[in-house]
Amino acid sequence: MDINICITGAAGDGVKEAGELCAKLFSELGYYAFVYQEYQSRIRGGHNASIVRVSDKPVHSHRKYYDLLVCLEDYVYRIHEPYVRGDIIYDTKFSCEKGGIGIPMTEIVKEANEPMIFRNAASLGAIAAYYSIDFGVLEDVFVRTFGEKAKDDVVISKAAYDHFLEHHQAKMSVERVGERREVVAGSKAIAEGLIAAGLEYYYAYPMTPASPILHYIIKKRRDIIAYQPESEIAAVNMAIGSAFAGKRSATGTSGGGFALMSESIGMAGMAEVPLLIIEAQRVGPSTGMATYHAQDDLNFVLYPSHGEFPLVVASPYTIEDAYKLSAELMNLAWKYQTPAILLTDKHLVESLQTAELHGAEIEETEIVRSSDGVMKRYELTESGVSRYAVPPAIAKFNSNEHTEYGITTDSAEVRKAMHDKRVRKEKLILEDVRGKGYVEYFKGKEAVVTWGSTFGALYEVVEELGYRLIVIRYLRPLVLPELEKAKVVECNRTGQLAGLLESRGVRVERVLKWDGRPFTPEELREVLG
Amino acid sequence: MSSILKEIEWCPGCGNFGIFKAFRNAVKRLGKDGIEKGRIVVVAGIGCHGKLPDYIDQPSFHTIHGRVLPMLTGIKLANPDLLPVGFSGDGDALNEGMEHFIHAAKRNTDVALFLHNNEVFGLTTGQFTATTPKGRRTRTTPFGNPEDPVNPCLLALISGATFVARGYAGNIKQLEELMYRAILHRGFSFLEILQPCVSFNNTWDLLRENVHEVSPAESFDDALRLVMDRFATGVLFKTEKETFEEILHKNRV
Repeated sequence: MDINICITGAAGDGVKEAGELCAKLFSELGYYAFVYQEYQSRIRGGHNASIVRVSDKPVHSHRKYYDLLVCLEDYVYRIHEPYVRGDIIYDTKFSCEKGGIGIPMTEIVKEANEPMIFRNAASLGAIAAYYSIDFGVLEDVFVRTFGEKAKDDVVISKAAYDHFLEHHQAKMSVERVGERREVVAGSKAIAEGLIAAGLEYYYAYPMTPASPILHYIIKKRRDIIAYQPESEIAAVNMAIGSAFAGKRSATGTSGGGFALMSESIGMAGMAEVPLLIIEAQRVGPSTGMATYHAQDDLNFVLYPSHGEFPLVVASPYTIEDAYKLSAELMNLAWKYQTPAILLTDKHLVESLQTAELHGAEIEETEIVRSSDGVMKRYELTESGVSRYAVPPAIAKFNSNEHTEYGITTDSAEVRKAMHDKRVRKEKLILEDVRGKGYVEYFKGKEAVVTWGSTFGALYEVVEELGYRLIVIRYLRPLVLPELEKAKVVECNRTGQLAGLLESRGVRVERVLKWDGRPFTPEELREVLG
Repeated sequence: MSSILKEIEWCPGCGNFGIFKAFRNAVKRLGKDGIEKGRIVVVAGIGCHGKLPDYIDQPSFHTIHGRVLPMLTGIKLANPDLLPVGFSGDGDALNEGMEHFIHAAKRNTDVALFLHNNEVFGLTTGQFTATTPKGRRTRTTPFGNPEDPVNPCLLALISGATFVARGYAGNIKQLEELMYRAILHRGFSFLEILQPCVSFNNTWDLLRENVHEVSPAESFDDALRLVMDRFATGVLFKTEKETFEEILHKNRV
């Protein structure tokens, strides 16, 4: 089984939640699901869509064409109608020129005396009936999601469910195939990965699509302090301050906010402070398209600040990997006392998927907490790594070039030794990540290379098209397999990963998309087939 | 003087010497109260004042321009047992760092900020800052500063600081007392230090003749009047309020 359901309506119709609940409905029966959320930067009106892909095999992407369109507004219907390859369920508050299955959602909600947003519950009732899923399963989903408050949703969805079965035939019968699976948002996977790696302080200024990480940490884990300060500049400096005081901390933003953080990234590099930044890309430059997907910050994030210093940049390729990789980066930042950046994207952070989160854990590092007099915080060592010390140990951190004691200096000799010391850490980091720098799938004649969430759609088509698939996780330091040539697939206009590969002598062919929407398997089959 | 550094790099006659001496005395006094040196964590910004961490044997962070306060906030949140003290210049705290200044005061973050106010950028050789008087000729205002200056104590007061004081680099004894009290105050403590820059704004005579000591205001309205006297020194305003860190830590499960 492999079905693709699009639930669409205006902002304020609860489309996002409907998509999440729909995925939970099928995952309750043991299916795999993936949800792509497309929405505009507005609070009411416009058009939102949740595309829910359900399968009995693991899925990491949505499809372009819909087996079922659930439509809550007439003007939205016209936008999505070209992609319908199956049935349409619509609210009878408008008439659907192509026909379809009309459900009086507005009437049902009015009768129950509830606000119009409850039409999303009605749409869920109709979907359950369409696939002849026992109503009890849907009821369980509501109760598990909303607890006692689920009552209104249950009443409304039941009315729509009954109305459907009284007037229409169920389309197909979806049977239970296994135990319930968890539906996880990318933002949650990242947050939980950080927490598993010992996160105690999270500071972030609101910016789509990174905000859900802040919301999640504030709401779910109150044993962690998460706070929204006055700006991204304040957020990153608070994170550095907390790390200086000995606590694992992080910050998260998108490209625009990351630009503001750039001076502090260099400062963390010079002062050798563990700093973790989540950079969730959206369409740029500048404000770009605030709620749409892109992978066009790679070049910027690889070299975000002036001067030379060790930096780790890595990108998760699935929601499961996001959990693992955020923890890996937190551990690396502390082990090597330098900034690390998790470069992700809107499509990964805001999508949902049935996923099991495992493989993230804290790797403790030694921290000196007391000293007799001023200690050599920046002791010149063979590895380049000095002992990390926090107050009340008398450790002096410095954003200027400094001596082993952390005292400002302009000495040519000291400068050279200190700069060498910091850069020496790069070698260790490279050895550390060598085994996890990239992931390979399938044996094929030619290689397709990608990064980030673009993996999801690509994974589905490469095998049937006879390619070998390589997904880059660590972008700096970059670890590459032996490659002479490759097709590089990514969501930007110039081919930024492709450029990186070219600089390593790989002959590349660029397969790019830059309209703000992620690739679908159908599109990739066309361009790669 | 630090045990590991032999030379201080301020101009002879610089106000920073007095400020430095007052701070060392305040730390000694806190030591006698049983507060170990390692708990008094110093963060400084960029400018002549920023060299101060090099001269002390305490945990310190010489950070970048304007960012002293968010770093102090991150430190205090991470370890409420520490007493974070910030040194900042008028350019550092009120040009690039203005947003942080207002927000730190508004939050009542439990840290102390000592502002070296010499009304000029010294280390970058004499440009105007947020506190430079209107009409003053500097390297970047050769025809006179077109802007009205910011009054740092007024700004701290209306932003919500719970301890507002003003001292003078030439009165080390008073300065030591103000620093001592500011560090121990629970909440955002702001201490403006009137300071000459011998190279670009030598106000020794002006300050010596005009500074005078006042008693703390008895109400917020009184304090508003008091801070308008640019040469009034002492604790100008003091009140008690729950701190930012206390509220956030209380919210933890």
